[in-house]
Amino acid sequence: MAFETAPDIEAQEHWAKRGDIDLYIFRKFSPSAQAANPGRPALMLVHGSSFSARTAYDLEAQEFGEYSLMNVFASLGYDVWTMDHEGYGKSSRTDGFSYIRDGVADLEAALPVIEKISGHKSACFFGSSSGALRAGAFANANPQRVDKLVLAALVWTGEGSPSLIKRAERIDEWKASNRRTVDEAAYEGIFSRDVTGLTIPELPKLAAAAEMANGGGSVPNGTYIDMCINLPAVDPTKIECPVLIFRGDHDGIATDEDVLGFYSALPNKDKQIIMMSGQAHNTTIGINRHRFWHVLHDFLTLPARIDQ
Amino acid sequence: MANFREKDYWADNEGVKLFLFRKRLDDDRKRPIFFLVHGSSFSGPGGFDLHVPGKPDYSLMEKFAGYGFDVWTMDHDGYGRSDRTDGNSAVMNAVPELEAAMKIVEAETGQPSAAFYGSSSGALRAAVYAEAHPGRVTKLILDAFVYTGKNAPTLIERAKKLDQWTSSNTRKIDRDFVHSIFTRDKPGTSEDGVADALANYELALGDTVPTGTYADMCQKLPLCDPKKIKCPVQIIRGEHDGVATEEDLLNYYNALEVRDKQFIIIPGQAHVSYLGVNRARFWHVVRSFLEMPERVDDSGL
Repeated sequence: MAFETAPDIEAQEHWAKRGDIDLYIFRKFSPSAQAANPGRPALMLVHGSSFSARTAYDLEAQEFGEYSLMNVFASLGYDVWTMDHEGYGKSSRTDGFSYIRDGVADLEAALPVIEKISGHKSACFFGSSSGALRAGAFANANPQRVDKLVLAALVWTGEGSPSLIKRAERIDEWKASNRRTVDEAAYEGIFSRDVTGLTIPELPKLAAAAEMANGGGSVPNGTYIDMCINLPAVDPTKIECPVLIFRGDHDGIATDEDVLGFYSALPNKDKQIIMMSGQAHNTTIGINRHRFWHVLHDFLTLPARIDQ
Repeated sequence: MANFREKDYWADNEGVKLFLFRKRLDDDRKRPIFFLVHGSSFSGPGGFDLHVPGKPDYSLMEKFAGYGFDVWTMDHDGYGRSDRTDGNSAVMNAVPELEAAMKIVEAETGQPSAAFYGSSSGALRAAVYAEAHPGRVTKLILDAFVYTGKNAPTLIERAKKLDQWTSSNTRKIDRDFVHSIFTRDKPGTSEDGVADALANYELALGDTVPTGTYADMCQKLPLCDPKKIKCPVQIIRGEHDGVATEEDLLNYYNALEVRDKQFIIIPGQAHVSYLGVNRARFWHVVRSFLEMPERVDDSGL
């Protein structure tokens, strides 16, 4: 996929409200790319446990190449959205844990805002790690809002998951406080826990700086707790739309069998599972992220059936 | 409309003359090779370069030639223009035949390897070739594939005639049989005219095909060992394809040791996906797999 960042990407900030909680929504799009690719859908990017939205999907690291997934897909003509969930980034800091079910409620608050601004009643959803669980659980509860669902770094039951076995050793710590610190050392651990060499060495520092700038330095513990003791969080039999599961070869968040079990249970036969070498847990900011872009773009542009 | 350059070739497999057919854009550019392997009941050009009167875009060879590939196919022993010996053209016979063909491809193009696509028993042929000659196969696409055959509706039905498949090395085909290929799983997944166009092509060359792959699929599965595949693999399954169960194919997928692998189900498609109503979706996923960007690291991970 030949890729060049569009010169006219526009960025917008919006806000949604869930009870007393202010939720930060961020949008990027390119008028020229949209004009060149009419009909491209809205793409909602759902962040995971340890990064706020723009650290995960709009990372500025131009000296190392394009690291903003939002820039990439805006340049391809998509109307790209993301949001900070409760307790992350620029959204309200509460005394809550921001569990997966809270993430669903956050998305339910954000979609009417997106609809009002853009006219999109529904979107294609991408989520990574616990972002995939948020997006999947949202699709369970709100099928009319989800045109296509892309789940990266997915875990279903968690059975046999190396990362979650390790994480569960600290379950008392995750439950004792609603937040944990994320800094350069924490990100170094995340990027190296599966394997080293599939992210640039500078990434922990870049991510930590971005997370601080985006309003952070700490993140809620709810999704960590959910992934240790409350899986499964998503019911594959209740997902109605086409699904792509993207799995990095070295991702310890789930076993192959667990992810294949989820895939097998999906009732909609418009489904793909793609495993890729040279990828670990954080596929969107790995050194081979361009291969992920290729797969995501091609799933989103799959021609419609002509027999329905 | 693009102009294509096409050419016939002949390979020799221990005295058996095998027909090869090549199609590409009409220029001299070196292009990646895409080799298409046919299945049990019709020839390479018959299935992959089909032209249906009044209906465009049925030639898979032209579609991928238009995308920039140098597209090849062949007729296996007993099919199309190739010699019709007294053998039954079983799946394993394809290994030396494809190797004979690849020697021609290499001599003509300078490229010793290719991306391979096979449909139905063509997928079995392509897979066993990839196992035996991993250096020849850069990517492997298995469409309408079957692994063990367990609980496959089509094979349960086919096995009822096993004595017929093993008592003769050939079986008769006629227009009704060609139609049945497109209706046995789900009527309406292909357009009117497709079966007749295919029957017209095939029956002009002969009214028999070998029984070897039918016999193999009824009694010798599994013929393929996923652990011996060394290249990226894409498995494509039509939603309504009765030649295998989804579970059977997922077992094959899970057993693949290569870590670049895809499993894609396409709704609204039956057994012959490249001649189906929704073939544009099939082209899309195949092209995406073939044009996957290279990794930028050499970590070996």
